[in-house]
Amino acid sequence: MHTARNTRIAIVFGLLPAVLIYLVFAILPILQSFYFSLMEWDGFSDMKYVGLDNFIRLFQEPLFWNSVKNNIYVVLASVLGQVPIALFLALLLNRKIKGLKFFRTIGFLPVVLSTVVISLTWGLIFNSENGLINELLHIIGLGELGQNWLGDTKWSMISVLFVIIWQFVGLYLIIFLAALQNVPEEVLEAAKIDGASEWTTTWKITVPMIWDTIVVAVILCISGSLKTFDLIYVMTHGGPAHSTDVMALYMFNETFSKLQYGYGSAVSVFIFFFSLALIFVVTRLLGKKMI
Amino acid sequence: MEPVLNQAPEIKKKKRKLFSFKNPIIYIILTVFALVNAYPIIWMIINSFKSEKEFSNNQFGFPSEFVFENYISAWQTASLGTLFTNSIFICVTATFLTVLIGATASYFLSRFTFKMNKIVYTLFIFGLLIPIHSTLVPMFILMRNIGLLNTPITLIFPYIAFHLPITIFLLTSFMKQFPKDIEESAIMDGCGIFRIFWSIILPMSRPALATVLILNFIYNWNEFSFALVLINDPGLQTLPLGLASFAGQFTTDYGGQMAGLTMSLIPILAFYLYLEKDIVNGMTAGAVKG
Repeated sequence: MHTARNTRIAIVFGLLPAVLIYLVFAILPILQSFYFSLMEWDGFSDMKYVGLDNFIRLFQEPLFWNSVKNNIYVVLASVLGQVPIALFLALLLNRKIKGLKFFRTIGFLPVVLSTVVISLTWGLIFNSENGLINELLHIIGLGELGQNWLGDTKWSMISVLFVIIWQFVGLYLIIFLAALQNVPEEVLEAAKIDGASEWTTTWKITVPMIWDTIVVAVILCISGSLKTFDLIYVMTHGGPAHSTDVMALYMFNETFSKLQYGYGSAVSVFIFFFSLALIFVVTRLLGKKMI
Repeated sequence: MEPVLNQAPEIKKKKRKLFSFKNPIIYIILTVFALVNAYPIIWMIINSFKSEKEFSNNQFGFPSEFVFENYISAWQTASLGTLFTNSIFICVTATFLTVLIGATASYFLSRFTFKMNKIVYTLFIFGLLIPIHSTLVPMFILMRNIGLLNTPITLIFPYIAFHLPITIFLLTSFMKQFPKDIEESAIMDGCGIFRIFWSIILPMSRPALATVLILNFIYNWNEFSFALVLINDPGLQTLPLGLASFAGQFTTDYGGQMAGLTMSLIPILAFYLYLEKDIVNGMTAGAVKG
């Protein structure tokens, strides 16, 4: 029989591995970064307590604000690009058409691929000499529109944002499709019988009925865009001339190239609170409980 | 009743007309979307079989003859064999352990009431909000302090820690749905707590377990940032890291890059086409549940 004591022991043993590894490798690093952010440290010699100096320096650093600005571009491009495109395509796909499965499969494909593979592939596509885009422009006689897409500060961020949108449209497309399939058919039928056009039905009935899902997608989109690192690291390394630098990349370079562990930790702390604050504000604005 | 009856045929006609007019446009839009999505990958795969010269002259056609030199040289210079072995080892180990300890924790969190239950669960769920990149620097310092930088098992720890939240979130919400009588009758039959978990709850959770297995596998297979920060030794690199450094070294070897990328794509592509439904469900489960 189960005694209360045995049960308690079982609970402790059952939870211990998960709790332990989670605390040590996920929570502890965050707490540590708070501590390191108050230090001046090259990673090898002794740490020196400097109070809030790292943060003061951070807030006065134009290159840091440049990376924040670029990060906000990524957030905006994702929210205003991925979500509307995905919703539009989902509405198109949400009817009895042939090939639905085919379009879904192709649509979701980029989501499964590793960001590194995507970045390298698009790097080749954007290549100024042999890249797909410039070749294509050349063939249709618009060769002079060709650009050094990733090497020109005018175009680098736009090119990167395009790939970011491309990568995740499929994810939201599938999320929206799933939600659309839960909208009861009778409601739409009733609207049709009342003489509502497809346009009106979509805006007045379908979209409001999946509003919760749209909010979740926007939140996912924001937290996902704040994590942008791999893609830009591989495609442009933040360049040229910091034109594609984002916060995580700035932190990476300041820490590991310049060996400023204290300063880098201060950037970590900033990213941590910035992300939480943004998600909190957006969930409040759009009216949905956090998770 | 009368007006409705009168209207009905008209609506039907209108609907049919609407569709016959709209369908081509819908298909055109969807086809453009499919092309934009798939062509970059197809373009790369086709061109990986072309010689350097043919690639610069004829990018859009099929290769006049299939050249495999790109593949041989990429396999060797990028040591893809080592990268594959490392990736498979880390991915399988981390995925298996995450699901095992995640499922155990989920069992106790979903089927037992105890004082700390809510706190422990909330702590894990909070992990869904942690921006991973804010932990790169402290993770590096932590790993260096405990002597776990650059070892074959280094990456397994952060991979488990950061994927436990979604694993526990999905598994607890699934296990909570089972009726309480299951355990009661099992206890009557003299089953122990872990026996109930192993022979009753786990088999019943098979669909959710499949979801989290796939989810973890894909995340781990594609992960780049922790690998970049925690692994320096070329012999220990995972596939994404190795590919990135290969491309960084041989920037103008387009053929080799495309061949390397294609080889790394094939397993995940096959996996995706084979398990499409489960993968799609898995990767959207968090969002749909949330």
